[in-house]
Amino acid sequence: MGTAKTRAPPKAATEPKVTRQIPQKTFVLDNGAYAIKAGYAPELPSSDEAALSACSSVPNALVKTRDNRVVIGAQITTNVSDWNEAMFRRPVEKGYLVNWEAEKEIWEQSFFDEKTARNKNTRVASPEETTLVLTEAPNTLPTLQRNTDEMVMEEWGFGGSILICHSIEGPTLNAWNEIHTLFGDSITPNPDSVIAPADCLLVVDSGYSHTTVTPVYKGQALQRGIRRLDIGGKHLTNYLKEIVSMRQYNMVDETYIMNEVKESACFVSNDFAGDMERTWQAGRKRQAGSEEGVVVDFVLPDPNAGKKGFMRPHDPLLHAKKKKGALSGLSAEVLSEDVLVLGNERFTVPELLFTPKDIGMKQAGVPEIIIQSLSALPPGLHAAFLANVLVVGGNALIPGFMERLETELRQIASAECVVRVRRAHDPIRSAWLGASRLANNREELSKVAITRQEYQEHGSTWAGRRFAGTV
Amino acid sequence: MFRVELLPDSSSVATPGYTYVADRGFNPAQAAMAPTLGRKRGIRDAGKGGDVSSRQANAIMRHLAELDRENQRDVQIPVPVKQAKEAGSRGTRAKTTSNVRRILQSQKTFRNHLDDEEAALAMGTGVGSGSGGGANVNAILQAKTGGAGGKTGKVAAAAGSGSSAAARRSSTPATASSSAARRKRPSAAAAATTTTATSTPTPAPSVSETADTHPEAETSPDNNNHNDEAADAEPKPKLIKTEHDNHPLLRSYAPSAPSDRIMQLLLAEPPLPYNAARAAPPSSSQPPRHFCCLCGYWGKIRCKTCHLRTCGLDCYKVHEDSRCGAFF
Repeated sequence: MGTAKTRAPPKAATEPKVTRQIPQKTFVLDNGAYAIKAGYAPELPSSDEAALSACSSVPNALVKTRDNRVVIGAQITTNVSDWNEAMFRRPVEKGYLVNWEAEKEIWEQSFFDEKTARNKNTRVASPEETTLVLTEAPNTLPTLQRNTDEMVMEEWGFGGSILICHSIEGPTLNAWNEIHTLFGDSITPNPDSVIAPADCLLVVDSGYSHTTVTPVYKGQALQRGIRRLDIGGKHLTNYLKEIVSMRQYNMVDETYIMNEVKESACFVSNDFAGDMERTWQAGRKRQAGSEEGVVVDFVLPDPNAGKKGFMRPHDPLLHAKKKKGALSGLSAEVLSEDVLVLGNERFTVPELLFTPKDIGMKQAGVPEIIIQSLSALPPGLHAAFLANVLVVGGNALIPGFMERLETELRQIASAECVVRVRRAHDPIRSAWLGASRLANNREELSKVAITRQEYQEHGSTWAGRRFAGTV
Repeated sequence: MFRVELLPDSSSVATPGYTYVADRGFNPAQAAMAPTLGRKRGIRDAGKGGDVSSRQANAIMRHLAELDRENQRDVQIPVPVKQAKEAGSRGTRAKTTSNVRRILQSQKTFRNHLDDEEAALAMGTGVGSGSGGGANVNAILQAKTGGAGGKTGKVAAAAGSGSSAAARRSSTPATASSSAARRKRPSAAAAATTTTATSTPTPAPSVSETADTHPEAETSPDNNNHNDEAADAEPKPKLIKTEHDNHPLLRSYAPSAPSDRIMQLLLAEPPLPYNAARAAPPSSSQPPRHFCCLCGYWGKIRCKTCHLRTCGLDCYKVHEDSRCGAFF
């Protein structure tokens, strides 16, 4: 482990051994822009399923509903039933934690306040005896990092000790996962061995605010290879919203509903021109939608009747039938529902991730960013990284994403290299899982963590330099 | 010739008239846009010459800013005011420190923070030590890969020089240090080249690389998708040496994995600034695809008045009747 971190131990060794003791309990907080993934890391190494059962997802937002109620954090999932015209305020802006006023409120509600934080998996009763593992996006501004240090240390006082992974960005934590089984490698993980990160892993993290490519070498990011595409799930939802609003109903205020539409209907096309042609022809002929047709109907949710939105095959005669009203023999239920007809919207929207040029953006698509990232690294590493591409983040769940990425990457990568692209088993909570596995490796953890005493002694500037690996 | 042009800015709302933008000196991209032939050529031929007009660039910027919003309307969602009783539930925790108060009351957006950061970088304070370190790594990478192929060294150099303006400013010390590194370590570079030279006759470099990165691949039964080198590399302990190993057709030209020292230097590099990590434009010069502004099918024809695309006469009629005339 010839890393920058190894320069720290001589200094630490001169200090009393006690100060490097970090608390046993580790609270892992993956502070995503859309949702916080939080929970205690299991004390003992356990299976992935057992570990993930301790992880719960909390919306990272303040929601203002139509009737002007403001709902915070964990209560959003339980207390909001009417999502029409719901407004969001998110403390994480462009992937980076900016607004601490809102974030503090969400954290307090969800993790610290004994009245509201009922879930014992995510309740931090005594921060003083807890180690915090907090993730952040790559290339965070130093000012924001210092703010995070100061808030975590001085406001909540994650007392005994704390670890803010400055050098360990969210994507890096994925390297701690068991990726050998994922890639179909026949090595069997030795349950007795110390948990160690993967040697070479190229993490593609396509989240809510942006998509990043991070080459991770033995658990540490190669900073010069990190690249970011400024398109994430938020942009896809907004783009879909815009298109649908222009072509059908005005949905510009229905962010939540359009996000649901996106999640259920959108897919990445592996034959863009062909799908485009098929959709157009289906629209011309107005024939009954066959099973494999691209065009679908999405029935919008009806909060008054308590019905959720759902997708079904397109019925081109539905509109005409509705005009006839009750004469056509449709039930009142069908007559009252609102339907969005989705044709090429289904695949032109996620297409932005692969050709941002379609909206005039001057950035390359995801496969080419991977090559851009690699071109900044020594050529000896290219083969190793191309053979270990791991995709995490919510956009990885869009059907067809993985196939398209692998195909395009194969086309532009050097012919001698093996290209293997895999999706994490749980792409959304993959970073959390990796962090919980890191937490089991006490030695590594104490190497990168700083304790509260150290913070009080040296201050936040020192903490920043320590995480940057320069102290 | 005198003319007024609306330069692209990042504001999300359309303001009439003009905006103030920072003049950063001579910009070849904008200089290329200046009309040299006819007064209206720049407007008429927008999009044809590869570069978009400033008006289109503005529209694109505004569209991207709109896609980046959380809500369509600007809405203030205040944090609910807590009752005094609840506020007292801080319990055993210490009082709010001044740092915390400052952070909580800060209403800065990410844009503000980023501007501060850019200003600090322009002053040359931010990554002063970092760029030096990066240049050092570049020098070593160049020294190492220089013998094998100049291309990779160029890539690394391009990445390093393009990383930030601050790095470019310190180009003279960087080159000095690189030459110093070359002078100081001719033996190391020579040793590196000799090791590659000695090991290239056998497929040893690829062997060591695959063995380092995923040793499990060697025992996996389904590795038929691995390339020939990896397949050759399988019986690593007992390589059969033949006289054909030196044959130029059989030699493996796979680049060797970098040494530990280089990896340590790479790992110790400071993070790139926010703007330097942004993805570059695509390298392929494929023409942009156009879509019908109404139905989303291919935009085959262009409205002669407003330059929006439609797919055919059906959509064009709708466009002409209802939406045309909108200033692009």
